[in-house]
Amino acid sequence: MKVSFNELQGMGRKAFIGIGFEEGDAIDAAEMVAWMEAHGLGGVAALKKGLDYLLTEDPARTPTLVYQDADFTVLDAHNHSILGNASLALELGYARARARGLSITKIRHCHNRVLVIGYLSRLARRGMNVTAFWRNSHEPLIEQVVGFKAGHLVPEICVYSLEDIPDDTEKNDGITLIMANHVDLLPSLRSDYALTNLMRQTEEDLEQQRGRALVEGLEVDDQLWRTLKTLADRLLVEASEASRSGAGAGKSDND
Amino acid sequence: MATQLDTQPQLKLRPAARVMNLVRLGSLHASRLSFSRSLVRQMAREDWTVTTVRDELDEHGHGVMIYRLQTPHHSYHGVIFSQHLEPEHRSDRVIAEAWDVTFALVEGAVEDSLLAQMAANVPLQEAGRQHPRLLVLSRANKSLRNFDHFVEALASGQQPDPAWLTRVGYLYRTTAVYGNGKFGIADYARLQKNPDFNRPFSAQMFAVYLLRHFSIQQVEHLARSRSPAHAVGLAPQLQRYLGIGNSTGLGMAPFLINHPQLIQQWVCCRERALAWARGQLPTEASRLELMTLLRRAHQHFVETLTEDAEQTRRNAATVESIEAVIHWLEQTTAGPCLWDNLLDWADDHCSLEAQELINTLLIELYPDLIDAVEDELGCEEILELQPEMRAAALKQLIESKFAWALDYDPKNPDHQYWFWYRSVEKEEPRLGVRAEEPGAEKELPLAIGPRIHRTYQLLDAFLDRSPRGSVVEFLMAHPGQKECVRRIQTMGATPYGEIQANLWHRDMKPMHLLRTKLSFFGASRFDPKSDRWVRVTLFQGAPLFCELFSDHGTDKARLKALDDWSFPVEPDLKPS
Repeated sequence: MKVSFNELQGMGRKAFIGIGFEEGDAIDAAEMVAWMEAHGLGGVAALKKGLDYLLTEDPARTPTLVYQDADFTVLDAHNHSILGNASLALELGYARARARGLSITKIRHCHNRVLVIGYLSRLARRGMNVTAFWRNSHEPLIEQVVGFKAGHLVPEICVYSLEDIPDDTEKNDGITLIMANHVDLLPSLRSDYALTNLMRQTEEDLEQQRGRALVEGLEVDDQLWRTLKTLADRLLVEASEASRSGAGAGKSDND
Repeated sequence: MATQLDTQPQLKLRPAARVMNLVRLGSLHASRLSFSRSLVRQMAREDWTVTTVRDELDEHGHGVMIYRLQTPHHSYHGVIFSQHLEPEHRSDRVIAEAWDVTFALVEGAVEDSLLAQMAANVPLQEAGRQHPRLLVLSRANKSLRNFDHFVEALASGQQPDPAWLTRVGYLYRTTAVYGNGKFGIADYARLQKNPDFNRPFSAQMFAVYLLRHFSIQQVEHLARSRSPAHAVGLAPQLQRYLGIGNSTGLGMAPFLINHPQLIQQWVCCRERALAWARGQLPTEASRLELMTLLRRAHQHFVETLTEDAEQTRRNAATVESIEAVIHWLEQTTAGPCLWDNLLDWADDHCSLEAQELINTLLIELYPDLIDAVEDELGCEEILELQPEMRAAALKQLIESKFAWALDYDPKNPDHQYWFWYRSVEKEEPRLGVRAEEPGAEKELPLAIGPRIHRTYQLLDAFLDRSPRGSVVEFLMAHPGQKECVRRIQTMGATPYGEIQANLWHRDMKPMHLLRTKLSFFGASRFDPKSDRWVRVTLFQGAPLFCELFSDHGTDKARLKALDDWSFPVEPDLKPS
């Protein structure tokens, strides 16, 4: 079915609150999904893939600090979706970069990582250069790099596979973020390295995609929409005579 | 881009504690910056034209009407479906499932395939899936007594009695006007670069204005069907005096709380306009012009009827206050301090509604600069976190800008008497008594005051442990505070960020919230049906489509005359 951006965002927010997210996290998560979908980056598909896991997670369990110094922070997300309260980990990196000029933040053990792009847009809007890096799978080994230029609302994205997999590689379910106050960190591919460029999306591509999405609406799987609606309905209060009078309407509207 | 108002040195803005007081906000009137006024000015200035492209109403007035709107930039279509409705199904509430008319504003052409899709879905409203080219989706019910009286009078060759429109100023009353992506229609983001409808609610206002045009055509059509030989058209004065009703309940309240940046823009534009008007040098001509406006408003409020005892008392107080103001102005000559003296005097001698009426009329005197701010009524809405801020600075920000929120007393049951929630019945927003009704665990987080109070308490304890801690460190310890903190940080930087009231408090009147928003829409004739349900009239007195278009181009005097329709009074149809 087709839905509008505002509908997807609104339904997502209510559904995430229904799952048990705090209001701020629910707003952020819904915005991340809708933002990704509107820019053609598969927000709805990523949500569909991660929703079953999300329903088994404890929304109150926040990422814990494993290590931090003035420039470098490592957090453990406990195999939770990035949609939960991982945004605070990103905000921590942002605050460090503001104070020190550059920061590195590693979030270990998280899934739904692609959705992080939706939140990074917020950080870039505030004037921060941001690059995120993660590995998607092992055979072939795929790396994804997303870079926002400070003040720009959309990123440039590179997805490529490596032909020669390093011997000592191991499963990577983390994400690394580099933020810098004053220098661009946009991804660019090394031409002399053996890799296959799977996707490169420029800011212009993503802007055009958003324009199309606003005209045509966003496609959402019917079953997923029903699931989100069921979750959102957890917030509704059963009707009673007292509640009907709580609406404050008159008894007859004929005049 | 800076407007001329921005360049005025040291505008004396009223303090937020005064302006954002909920009772005062609930005393606002429509002004020249209201969205309906602004839209009519734009239509006149740009010579918007509306033509009927399909008229398929049967002898009962049922069927489809399609109008084409042409602006200098684009074309649109208004599609109206009219049907029979049994009186027992006529409900103003969101839980209704059928209406006398349902309608939509469409961007571009209405091809046969789109019309078929709309015919299957628009009459269902919330229960349908709407097309993304629809900009507005709405429905309305008849005011049956007015409708029947109008058809009967016109069919018999007579004009309806204008007093009927003074009692109830419309033939149709909308019960919801949806925009911004609801039920599949176009997102507001799509209109942000569209010069026709990029102001807040302007597409919705146009849809309502078009319904007014339809209501006139429909009663004239029914009168002709009933009596082809004797029927007459509706007199132009009555067409002008005819508005469109709107019935509004608690559904409007969450918007005001969930869009603080937009509310800040609306209030700030109005306050800047007032401050600028107040700073102008009064002249004898402007003194007389203000008195003319006051006399018309006086007559408007003398004529305004409502069954609600409190609103009747407020209207009477307004009438009494206006008489006193006119008397005061008659005794006072125009001097440099006239406006300041008038407003100071009104503070001591006039009701709140009358004080805000004077402000509204003062803005009318200086249209040239004030109208420039109407392009600033919209804004991008995003609450931004400043994670690097010191937690101590956040605490100071609360103390300096949100002191009103710290008045909340968690131990006082009256301070948490109400809770807001959505019912399973079509998600209708409702108010419950916390100590008596179930559902408080699912409440909507609309009471910003108590939330800020909670953040403040947690901050206080955090700072005892970490006096040099940052906001992000505070949030790592209290992640549930993220939304409230970014709201405090964002709105704390604005002059009129928050409605300063505890929405849980036993004495809180939801009607004030509804009136705040409705006044910015341009509503008049406030007619409360309870403390949380109100009927109002839009576009009463507004010029007609046929008056807006002119071959003469942008003639300033003509545009000024067309814009002069606030606080309309009952027309005299007797031949002079």
